[in-house]
Amino acid sequence: MRTAKIPMVIAVIALWAGQVLAQPTQPTQLSPSPSPSPSPSPSPSPPTYSADGLYNLANAYARAGKPGLAVLSYERAALLAPADPDINANLAYVRASAHVPMKPLSRFARLVGTTSPAAAAWLGILGIALVGIGLVASRAAPRFLWIPRGGVLLGIALIALAASNAMLLWPHMHEAVILVDQAPARVSPAPMADTAFALREAESVTMTAEYEDFILIRTGGGLTGWVSRASLGAVVPSD
Amino acid sequence: MRWVRILVATLCAFAPARYAMAQTLDDLAYETVEPSRIKLGESAILRVTSFGRIKDVTLPIIPGLVFEPLGRSQGFDFVNGATLPATFFSIRITPQFAGVFTIPGLTPSSRPVGLEVVKGDEPNPYTWHSQQPTPAPVPTGTLPKGVQLQAGGAAFVHLAIPARPIYVGESVPVEIDVGLRAGIVTAVNGLPTLKGSDFTFNNLSKQPERRQESIDGGTFILLSWHSALAAVKPGEFELSAEAPLTVKMSTLSAADRAIASRLAYPLLQSMYSGVAPKDMTIESSPLQLKVLPLPMEGQPENFSGAVGNFRVSSEVSPASVAAGEPLTLRLHISGAGNFDRVDSTMFDHLDHWKTYPAKSSFTPSDAVGNEGEKVFEQPLIAAQPGEQSIPGLEFAYFNPNTRQYEHAQTPAIKVTVAPALASGLSLSGAPATGSALGLRPDHRVPQNSASELRPLYFRPSFLIIPTTLALLLAGSWFAVRANAARANSKGARKVLAQLDAAARAGDSSAFFTAARNALLQRFAAQWRMPADQITVADLRARLGATGEDLERLFAIADETRYSDHQSGGADFQRWISLIRGQLSSERK
Repeated sequence: MRTAKIPMVIAVIALWAGQVLAQPTQPTQLSPSPSPSPSPSPSPSPPTYSADGLYNLANAYARAGKPGLAVLSYERAALLAPADPDINANLAYVRASAHVPMKPLSRFARLVGTTSPAAAAWLGILGIALVGIGLVASRAAPRFLWIPRGGVLLGIALIALAASNAMLLWPHMHEAVILVDQAPARVSPAPMADTAFALREAESVTMTAEYEDFILIRTGGGLTGWVSRASLGAVVPSD
Repeated sequence: MRWVRILVATLCAFAPARYAMAQTLDDLAYETVEPSRIKLGESAILRVTSFGRIKDVTLPIIPGLVFEPLGRSQGFDFVNGATLPATFFSIRITPQFAGVFTIPGLTPSSRPVGLEVVKGDEPNPYTWHSQQPTPAPVPTGTLPKGVQLQAGGAAFVHLAIPARPIYVGESVPVEIDVGLRAGIVTAVNGLPTLKGSDFTFNNLSKQPERRQESIDGGTFILLSWHSALAAVKPGEFELSAEAPLTVKMSTLSAADRAIASRLAYPLLQSMYSGVAPKDMTIESSPLQLKVLPLPMEGQPENFSGAVGNFRVSSEVSPASVAAGEPLTLRLHISGAGNFDRVDSTMFDHLDHWKTYPAKSSFTPSDAVGNEGEKVFEQPLIAAQPGEQSIPGLEFAYFNPNTRQYEHAQTPAIKVTVAPALASGLSLSGAPATGSALGLRPDHRVPQNSASELRPLYFRPSFLIIPTTLALLLAGSWFAVRANAARANSKGARKVLAQLDAAARAGDSSAFFTAARNALLQRFAAQWRMPADQITVADLRARLGATGEDLERLFAIADETRYSDHQSGGADFQRWISLIRGQLSSERK
């Protein structure tokens, strides 16, 4: 039994240290910032994000008739709180008002999306710990094997949940929202290049490459073109 | 008759020399466009005359012009009084929109020509219409003061700027007049330009004003362009304008012109009058302009560099809103001056209102943008309900007429802010359907915040944790396995030592009891089942032939335990060998 306690102590220490290292507590954001993206002007403190603050900011943009910035802020809020019904409802409403089609979520996506990414990450850690401890315990103490075996199965399920959550959110890491109406998508990354097609404000696109002030995007319909960097906002701002 | 004979003799003497001169112009080519001014919907003919061996010309590509080759012909042309064989290319030009076009030279030696296309409702003095009334007589004019004809009296440029000193940053209108003698100037090869590095020029009008005047007994076409000028630093500067033209110039020397003037017959005159198009740039007389610095005394803190004469007014819409809903404050600034320096800093003092970046638009009322109206739209959001007041906006500028700084201020505006709606806020610009859900209300004060939007599992700093944890657990797994193996080895040696001791002492009961217990513990760990639940059937099923020996060993152990049976020494060694084999075997 002594050998079984060692990995449990190690796992508890690792979880505690990881939580301290990975999620430092930031001051509470009391009011939404007027600029959803990090300001170009030098700022003494790094930007902080909260789901509620981004949601309120998106509401302000929506009321001001700026659907592009509103959708961008809603998307960012949904990254932090994917199961928030207000965020999803207002996001759908603003997109519908801007005449931007929205892809329906699959049942699996809705199921996985009920867990926040932060919770899924820690559940994944817990799953790894359960699998490891279960395997070690079953080797060290052959008695009551159903306990470590059950722990291993639960751990695998938690790891699968975290992996599914990560797979669901991975496309959002490269997603951007068009901020101006009729943004031209050009055939090459040059200001005078021919326009291949125009993008509607609040439309979501996938960023695939970048060159100087242009970003190569792909629409939901599979069209690709170069868009000025100023015409879109990345859902996850680059560092 | 004597004069005629002298003339004929002179011509005969000069003809070979002139022919030789013409041969040196083998590469000479020129092009003309007729008419040089047409209406939209009409066509002009571009005629390329080449004296060389050019077989064909390449049609240019000019947006707004459609070129259609009409044909190529051979003939003769008169150059400097000599008759030379020439090739003529005729091209029809059909414009698609109005404007002033420059057609480049289609041969290496030909010069660009200009074509002016006017809209259909503008009069075209070059187009003959039999059913139109006789055009009004050309008014008589004079050359502007200080202006002299250039290019052999074919054209002039006149620059009109304010006579008074101007201030740094002040935007003043300027006018460039270009006079062209009809029939002599064949093309204007571009827009006129102002010479002066210490000024900025804005919005030169693309379409000049056009009129005709009779000056010095000749008909001149006067083209007037307008622009706005601003000085960037104080001082006294020279300023002039220039314009590129193509002018028909005589190529005869003074002596030849004297002879030509004495020729009595028009045919002979035409043979003797060498004329060729020539590109040149004519320049106006330089003007002195004094630029004064803006006075530092009395300069307001909120002065942004606007110089001119402005008026301001403001309005807000809607006049009553719910708390949290936006309203738009519009500030109108109209007048004359440098509107590019009129910015939105006057909105910086709306402290009790939540603001977003203001948008601006400018609507000029003249051709150069010196006069007009600039409108700023400032979105405002009131956080608290009740009677709110938007403070008056103050705009500071320098008036060059009064030579002092002035302030223009708007009155404060009262706005009624109703309590915030709980729900059902409508999106601006959204279709106002009755079934629209509207926006859900804002959340309360945010509680938690994150330093990064990227989920935890995509951050490298976080991925260290599961990696470290997995490595630690894997290490523990291997450590436990090694410990178990060492424990088995140590236990096996201990059991074998006990068995040796019992065998030497001839204690069968202790020997078989220890052997039985050691084997049961070994099999329990190996098969992951309690030792007391291991049966003879398990031994047979899992160990096969060896199981039968062990079954016999267990039977002897039971027998010695209950009947005190004593076994021989040779049996001990065989059993020890069998037990050592089982205890040292790898786990399956």
